[in-house]
Amino acid sequence: MNQAIIQTDRLTKIYNPDTVPVHALRDVSLSFEQGEFTSVVGPSGSGKTTLLNMIGGLDKPTSGSVMIDGVSITGMKDRELIDFRLKNIGFVFQHYNLIPVFTARENVSFIMLLQKRDKAEMMERTEKLLQQVGLRERMDARPKQLSGGQQQRVAVARALASRPKFILADEPTANLDSASAMNLLDIMEKMNREENVTFIFSTHDQRVIDRARRVITMVDGAVESDIATDQKSQTA
Amino acid sequence: MKLILTLAWRNIWRQPGRSLVLIGAIVSGVWAGVVVSGWANGLIEQRLVNLIQTEITHAQIHHPQFRQERESSMYISAPERIYQMLDSDPRVKSWAPRTLSDGMFQSPVAASGVRIRGVDVELEPKVTIFHEMITQGAYLDETMRNPVLVGEALAEKHNLEPGYRVVLSFQDVNNELVSASFTIAGLYKTHSTVYDERTVYVRMQDLSELINGSLAVHEIAILLEEESYSGNLIADLREQFPDVHSESWYELSPELRYLVDFGGMMTGMIMLIIMFALAFGILNTMLMALFERMRELGMLMAIGMNRQRVFAMILLESVLLTLSGGLAGLLAAAGTIRILMNRGIDLSVFGDGLAEWGFESVIYPVMTGADYGEVFVIVILAAILASIYPALKAVRMNPLEVEKE
Ligand SMILES: Nc1ncnc2c1ncn2[C@@H]1O[C@H](COP(=O)(O)OP(=O)(O)OP(=O)(O)O)[C@@H](O)[C@H]1O
Ligand SMILES: [Mg+2]
Repeated sequence: MNQAIIQTDRLTKIYNPDTVPVHALRDVSLSFEQGEFTSVVGPSGSGKTTLLNMIGGLDKPTSGSVMIDGVSITGMKDRELIDFRLKNIGFVFQHYNLIPVFTARENVSFIMLLQKRDKAEMMERTEKLLQQVGLRERMDARPKQLSGGQQQRVAVARALASRPKFILADEPTANLDSASAMNLLDIMEKMNREENVTFIFSTHDQRVIDRARRVITMVDGAVESDIATDQKSQTA
Repeated sequence: MKLILTLAWRNIWRQPGRSLVLIGAIVSGVWAGVVVSGWANGLIEQRLVNLIQTEITHAQIHHPQFRQERESSMYISAPERIYQMLDSDPRVKSWAPRTLSDGMFQSPVAASGVRIRGVDVELEPKVTIFHEMITQGAYLDETMRNPVLVGEALAEKHNLEPGYRVVLSFQDVNNELVSASFTIAGLYKTHSTVYDERTVYVRMQDLSELINGSLAVHEIAILLEEESYSGNLIADLREQFPDVHSESWYELSPELRYLVDFGGMMTGMIMLIIMFALAFGILNTMLMALFERMRELGMLMAIGMNRQRVFAMILLESVLLTLSGGLAGLLAAAGTIRILMNRGIDLSVFGDGLAEWGFESVIYPVMTGADYGEVFVIVILAAILASIYPALKAVRMNPLEVEKE
């Protein structure tokens, strides 16, 4: 079952190398496997977002490389990267996730339209996903009419809709109250368990951290610890 | 594509107030542009028709030097051979000979330089509608001795009425000065005050007699069945009668030539100016909208919306916005033009400056399908031009914008 889908090799990122260099990542070598439910934690400024951006192909490392399913994305051109992200990676951001002029349903279909999926499949999948995140009744609401937690659930549904190799979520619960945060985690966990979807998410919230089966702790741009927790042994 | 279209259309209505203001500006700009263009087109066309109908006709024949030197001795020799050809040509509707001279018009009050047009009383009404412009008295009366028709403007200047006598002086074929007394048979008023002040009409027999002792034809005016025959007919006339000059109205009147050439570009020019101004409004609105949506655009690119699609979306937003305003403006303008086509636009309240130059004060606007097409193309071009810069700006953006707070 377990094969590496993401591999980083001595990943280093230095911002502003010419003026005030900031070492956001220092020689980070990590490997992620299919079906993981992993949390990246650490103090503010420790490099969590930078790491997720590198893995997601949103930013380029100063040195080192990122391989996804055996393909190096480090040398890809911008244009190729956009296409690569569309086909391989699901994203859930902390905010500004959704297109405000589209309904929940349209936001989820959107990514499949970009992927030029078959129309019938798209409609069916959209409804199924919205059902799974508990928003079947709110399908035709626009983001503004949804609570923060509901919006994040739509974002998760959209990320799943594209059938990505893995989903990256940078502090998906940071703007949510704890009930909504736990609810979002429930949904992510369920998707992970039932459909073997890989999730990598960063967080500050201890209760969210507790739900992860692997916790990577960053300090000052380097990996301080990388621990498989109890839950992993329970499900594995 | 449908996806991008939907997205673009909804994005327009995110800030309905702002979009409506812009659409309103486009509607009024297009409306005003079309109405002004229609008015200008109508003005030009009416002037064209007037000049052709009252004065120039479609084509004229002269002695080769007459138009430059205007000497009485430069008349057409043996005009009958030309009459024969014109009579038998099916393209020719009618023709009329004229005797012309430049001279002095004297009344007890003052003296004015005038052009004296000797016209054939029977044939002239078949080529021009000048006889319809008589406002007082009668057309050149057959029973009167030396009748003259004077423009109202000239009569006013000299304080004259029908029945008064005036003296006309001009050169005969030997360059001798001849003077004769004429009686005012009537007054006329064309669309041009300047023309009325400088032109008098007499019988061509009377003028010829004084100039030459017998008939001297300086000009043969030709009215065609259709204006479009003029090129062909002129070519034939030139071949058959190489000793005289045959010219179409286009060559005869620099004013008409200018009006026609310039008039063709009128709509385009007015619209270009208006759309240039509107383009800045569109540009400004698009940049504002873009600036507010930086994060969202970053998110779209992060999840995999490629740059061509982002570019197309921004471009479409501005095109759709402009299109809705442009179409509404065109419709409103077409309606206005339809109404004004029958009623006319009367600018006489602003004084008679136009009339002085031969333009009527009531103008019936003219907009052809091609004119509307031109407006449409210019509107779309303006929309595209105004949105290229914002669209490029959006495309160059870094998807990471979404991450920053
Ligand atoms: N675009 C940038 N330019 C310069 N420095 C940056 C940039 N982005 C991040 N940094 C710096 O890189 C370091 C790592 O930042 P990063 O955002 O990855 O931290 P983080 O762990 O996600 O923090 P937080 O928990 O606050 O989100 C920080 O010192 C930050 O100031
Ligand atoms: Mg962060």
